[in-house]
Amino acid sequence: CKKSFLELAPESNANAETFYKTKADMDLAVNAAYSTLYNVYDPEGPVSYTAEMMGDNTTLYIIAGNQTDKFAFKDYNLQTNNTMVYSFWRTYYSSLYSINIILSKLDDSELTATEKESVKAQMSFLRGLYYFNMVRLWGDVPIVTKPLSVEETYKVVRSPKADVYKLILDDLTFAAEKLPPTAVGRATQGAALTAKGEVYLTLNDKANATTALMSVYTSQNYKLQGTYAAVFGPTVKNTKESIFEIQYLGGASSISTGTYSKYYRNYSPNVNVFGFSGIGMNQVTDDLYNEYETGDPRRELSITLGFQNGAVFQEQKYPIKWIDPTAVKTDNNVLANNNFMVYRFADVLLMLSEATDDPKYLNEVRTRVNLPLFGTPGYPSAKYPTLALAIEHERRVELAIEFHRWFDLKRTGRAVAVLSAKGKPVTEKKLLLPIPETVRLQNGIITQNDGYN
Amino acid sequence: MQLYAGVRVEPGLVNGPTVLFADIKVSGRVSDDKGLGLPGVSVKLKGTNTGTVTDAKGNYSLIVPDNGILVFSFTGTITKEVQVNNQKTIDVKLAEDVKTLNETVVIGYGTQSKKAVTGSVASIGYDKFKDRSYSNVTQSLAGQVAGVNISQGQGAPGVAPIIRIRGVSSITAGTNPLFVVDGVPLENFNLNLINSQDIASVEVLKDASSAAIYGSRGASGVILVTTKMGKSGKTDINVNLEYGSQKVARMIDMMDAQQWIQYYILAKNNSWTDLGGGRKASDPNSLRGNASTYKIPEEFINSPEQFGKGTDWQDVMFRVAPMKSGQLSVSGGTDKTQFLFSASYLDQDAVLDQNYYKRLSLRSNVKHNVSDKFTLGMNLSFTGIYDRTDGTQGKSDVIGLALQSDPFFPLYNENGNLGMADPNSIWNRYLQYNPVNLWHPYATTRFTDKQNKAFNTLAIGYAEYKILNNLKFRTSLNGNLGNNRYNYYLIKNQGYGFNQSLTPSTGTASSGYLLNWLNENTLNYDLKVKDHTFNVLAGYTVQKQHDEFQSATATNFPNDLVHTLNAGTVTSGTSTISEWSMISYLARLNYNYKNRYFLTSTIRRDGSSRFGINNKWGYFPSVSGAWIASDESFLANIKTISLLKLRASYGVAGNNQIPNYGSSSLLGQGNYVQGDALASGLITLNINNKDLKWEKTTQLNLGLDLGLFSNRLNFSAEYYKSITKDMLLNVPVPDISGFGTQLTNIGKMQNAGVELNVNTKNFTGDFKWSTDFNFSHNKNKVLQLGPNNAPIYFTDNETMVKTEVGQPISNFYGYKFDGVYLNQAQINNSVHEASTVPGDPIIRDVNGDGKITTDDRTVIGNYQPKFTAGIVNTFSYKGIELSFMFQGSYGGEIVNQNYRFLGYWNSGRNLYAKVNNYYRSEAEPGDGVNPRPTMVRKAFQSAFSTLWVEDASYLRLKNINVSYALPERLLKGTSLKTLRIYANADNVYLWSKYTGYDPENTTFSATSYSSNGTAANSGTVSSATPPGALIGLDYGSYPVPRVITVGLRASF
Repeated sequence: CKKSFLELAPESNANAETFYKTKADMDLAVNAAYSTLYNVYDPEGPVSYTAEMMGDNTTLYIIAGNQTDKFAFKDYNLQTNNTMVYSFWRTYYSSLYSINIILSKLDDSELTATEKESVKAQMSFLRGLYYFNMVRLWGDVPIVTKPLSVEETYKVVRSPKADVYKLILDDLTFAAEKLPPTAVGRATQGAALTAKGEVYLTLNDKANATTALMSVYTSQNYKLQGTYAAVFGPTVKNTKESIFEIQYLGGASSISTGTYSKYYRNYSPNVNVFGFSGIGMNQVTDDLYNEYETGDPRRELSITLGFQNGAVFQEQKYPIKWIDPTAVKTDNNVLANNNFMVYRFADVLLMLSEATDDPKYLNEVRTRVNLPLFGTPGYPSAKYPTLALAIEHERRVELAIEFHRWFDLKRTGRAVAVLSAKGKPVTEKKLLLPIPETVRLQNGIITQNDGYN
Repeated sequence: MQLYAGVRVEPGLVNGPTVLFADIKVSGRVSDDKGLGLPGVSVKLKGTNTGTVTDAKGNYSLIVPDNGILVFSFTGTITKEVQVNNQKTIDVKLAEDVKTLNETVVIGYGTQSKKAVTGSVASIGYDKFKDRSYSNVTQSLAGQVAGVNISQGQGAPGVAPIIRIRGVSSITAGTNPLFVVDGVPLENFNLNLINSQDIASVEVLKDASSAAIYGSRGASGVILVTTKMGKSGKTDINVNLEYGSQKVARMIDMMDAQQWIQYYILAKNNSWTDLGGGRKASDPNSLRGNASTYKIPEEFINSPEQFGKGTDWQDVMFRVAPMKSGQLSVSGGTDKTQFLFSASYLDQDAVLDQNYYKRLSLRSNVKHNVSDKFTLGMNLSFTGIYDRTDGTQGKSDVIGLALQSDPFFPLYNENGNLGMADPNSIWNRYLQYNPVNLWHPYATTRFTDKQNKAFNTLAIGYAEYKILNNLKFRTSLNGNLGNNRYNYYLIKNQGYGFNQSLTPSTGTASSGYLLNWLNENTLNYDLKVKDHTFNVLAGYTVQKQHDEFQSATATNFPNDLVHTLNAGTVTSGTSTISEWSMISYLARLNYNYKNRYFLTSTIRRDGSSRFGINNKWGYFPSVSGAWIASDESFLANIKTISLLKLRASYGVAGNNQIPNYGSSSLLGQGNYVQGDALASGLITLNINNKDLKWEKTTQLNLGLDLGLFSNRLNFSAEYYKSITKDMLLNVPVPDISGFGTQLTNIGKMQNAGVELNVNTKNFTGDFKWSTDFNFSHNKNKVLQLGPNNAPIYFTDNETMVKTEVGQPISNFYGYKFDGVYLNQAQINNSVHEASTVPGDPIIRDVNGDGKITTDDRTVIGNYQPKFTAGIVNTFSYKGIELSFMFQGSYGGEIVNQNYRFLGYWNSGRNLYAKVNNYYRSEAEPGDGVNPRPTMVRKAFQSAFSTLWVEDASYLRLKNINVSYALPERLLKGTSLKTLRIYANADNVYLWSKYTGYDPENTTFSATSYSSNGTAANSGTVSSATPPGALIGLDYGSYPVPRVITVGLRASF
């Protein structure tokens, strides 16, 4: 027999050894890098669990799987062995690998200089966005900017927050410079600038935040949709209001391509009308429901009161921004078509008011829903006497379940006050997730966050 | 002078007739110990070629000189010589050859006399399993072979047992032994595909030196299966008919409806009042918020008695199930040609509702000597299996569900439907209370239509040519062709059975195909120079396997009339192909001096496609020796010692059981969307490893065989110690690499143990009693792991196993549970979690830091037993034979993972009856083990703890067999040669403290890699955990039923 008898190439999987070379390879790899957004912004992913459940917007009743570990988010009872926290950690670093491998292979690939720059800018945006998530979840995190050998991984320690933010700003700045003004379904200049604006706001650098957000505001590329109802829906995609939108594609074949949108099913109660269980993630609290002002059309467009369960109507509030009544249901999945907006123009407007202390932008948001403007009679100023509180309120109802609430409260320093008033056993230290136990068992030089030792 | 009849007069003698000797006709009957006629016995006049063979009834007649000596010889008996001495009738009884040393045993690539065996080989003949009711021969061997731990993790028909030969040598790679059927090595082969009745013997190669001839596949031991072949002589026709009945002998004691309702009420009330703020247990539903969480159906409180004892869901799911089998074999041949044809059919209903197992197997073994030099042969077997199996997937499969289902709900509602999802049923209202969110076990068996079909053809063709008298060339071409098909159809709405919702019809059809071919070429050379005997074997083999798998799923069926996918819309489909290949060179030298000193040395060189480009080839050498001290002159005179043999061996064997493309970095789907179109993407799935190679196990084996009192007492002891290095570990790597694990050769493990076999013939003569006893002890210890020796943890639904240096693999790792708090003072004086109240579990502060944290987890058990033992007693008197076997295991633990569902409140599932001794109040503290009912448990109080870990020691009356062979005189005048009736009972009785069905139960089986390269799970494992790491976790396994069969065997 010939030597080659023993050299069998995989028949059903492409081999990574020779990949990341041609333009076609890189297109596939870049698509795959974007597909990591599905994991990071999954309805049961890291941002969803923290931004909504650790805030006051949502809760869980019954949910499949490790209930204790899931309830721990809303109850501020996270243990270092929480399996969800660990899976979030893995989600981020496996997503970063898909980005870093491209960046590391780019120079030697067959792409033109322009193509290389475009890919690099897109990857930088994603990386900046992810590290921005991570630094807000865990504080100091290990910085990985290239594929590491197994040996190397044992040497990487957690970097101080300041270094992580420097990386984030470097990446987003590069992205903002090199990305195109528009590109449907892809990272754009506007997306990078919006992210940068939020980063600066988080760092309490309102001047730089204003600069970044203002260039989005004045770019003429974005405007609010006419009505709030026109912002969401299975066929409402990549509108003028959208700044960075995760692209989904439902339909029967998406069961195999994996591109369907899961928010509809996962946010439906565990018991429901699909013909199989929903997941019951992010069920809406009365507190959020009551936050809406009387006559605010956004409430009924965002939240439903319950569902028909056999002969009875079961009251259980849950989000409906991403419902797709026409979705194909197969193999215990609902193959919905709805996109998810990471950033949209209303968010930029509200951040601009926060950065500039000017209610003008906030009032643009309120104008759309025909509510009294801040500073005018009729505005519930008894409840929201300051602009800061008005923004907090407006962001909560405008951007409900869009993964902002907890980050907003943390950014404005209000998290402990607001959440403990609602009975959550929260402390400043608990506003960071624990470093997963497994990570520290694997590598003893990784430190733990205070409050979890 | 009287002349005898037939006097021969020498013609050359002219001096009158002189009688030199006379020829007489001698006739007689040759029988065995029991008096049964032995056909085919060679009867020869000593020193001549004159002779005959006995007929079907053992009769012979022969004309021989009156002073001759007759030699009666027959395989397996002691050859007997009888002086004719003028006798006209010579009846002979041939004693069974108790000097079993003259037996031959099958070893890799050949056979060897047992006397010459230098390694550790256990040989089990057909007689040891012929009446057993199992479809897989290895199941019948459980408890019979020291050092071979065969346990039935799941009792469904057709589920192969977990076989561990001398411990477990790998943490993440596969640990199944290599199966070799008539010389063909088949990895992860399903022995159900070989009809046990066709098997002549099973040999287990236990030590590395015996297994080294199988090189990179021998480290977990080798099981050789040899099928029968006809003997020259009259054609034998054997018929076997069997009927049996199976039953779950040991049900799990669950709460009835009344007990459950009381627990339910209390759990809801306690949780409600725990919220504080003046909430009272007496608050009506109207005060208990909008959600159903704390609401209780009014009739549970007002009139619970209307539910009676409720439904026993185990009773619903299990049944007494019949099994029938029939078997016909025809064998025989001439000097030139031997053959065996057989056909058998097994029709078995399983104890679980709707489950069955049907098997047809056909075999043709033929061998023909074309000339003195040239022999051809072919063994061809076909097996077809139709079966349906549910209940083996653990917690969410029907057996787990039967335990979890609430007893208050009836099997059928008033409309004749199954579940509360029926909108027209009065039971529909219970949906609002979020009753247990389960699939309905009975709906799952009744409203799904599913079937597995497996077809397998194993063809073994060979040719042997004697180049010289002592030099033989053998070549073989073997093919194993397997085809599996699976059809599944879920009937719309499932009789409203799935408690919460109505599920549309779904259909799945999948098929797998495998072709494995092997070409082997060996040269065998014998040489005898005076007292030196040499046998040399050299060989070259090539093997390749090709697997294909495809599957499609359809939905949107218009109705349930047609269950094939064409009736619906195909919504998904996939197909995959996978291959492996192997080239091997092998050599063996057997040498002995004076049949007293034996030496064997082997070497194999394997090249495999599975391994990294830098490590394609590996060498596996071994050496072993034996000394028969009892043949030395200084012992020859000691009459009591009939055998004293010392053995020693040392060898290296490998383990290649990893995915086919384990060394490559693979790309997988990572699609995105661009606009309204799919944007295909590819993502890197794993880190490559160009250095990946086999795991190497070196083993030292020391053995002592002692036969006393003419081998009435046989004793055999072995000690072994093996070190596995370069372990194939899917090593967890820091996740910042982007990956969870990398398949690497790293780490070391040790297994050391002793094995004892004692065989005694307590009574011989008409009444016979013999005893076979075996004992094994193995100690497994991890010596080294990956970087920093970081422990390896695997988790499945809260149960954590930890593998660390200095410990056996997969220690159970959790909290120590110290009962429940009986009062507030006890809480105040202890380390406890915040908001603990009396009745809550006590978690021990193991590290004594004054806090309950994850650091308080510790080792709380391991499934590996300290020892296992088996004993078989066999009695016989004339044609009656009785045997029974006890088998046991001591010192292991089992995780009753069902405890998570059935040990305390979990979404309103049913509970163990023993939980009813729960804490009710200070005055009624219950048994101090079961905490107060509550829906919400503090983090550590619901975690994996000693409460879930139970003693897995057991003693089992494994088998009873009674048989009666009709005396030959009754068969006279019929065409029957023998007729035997028997009754056999397997798994007769179990002594065990375990709460679950069986302490052998494990939901996870040994790791093996399926054709698409992923680990094949029996249970549902949460992550990329190799299931083998989770052996000993019972998460709702299939009970092993008691099987009683009666049968009849006749030969013509």
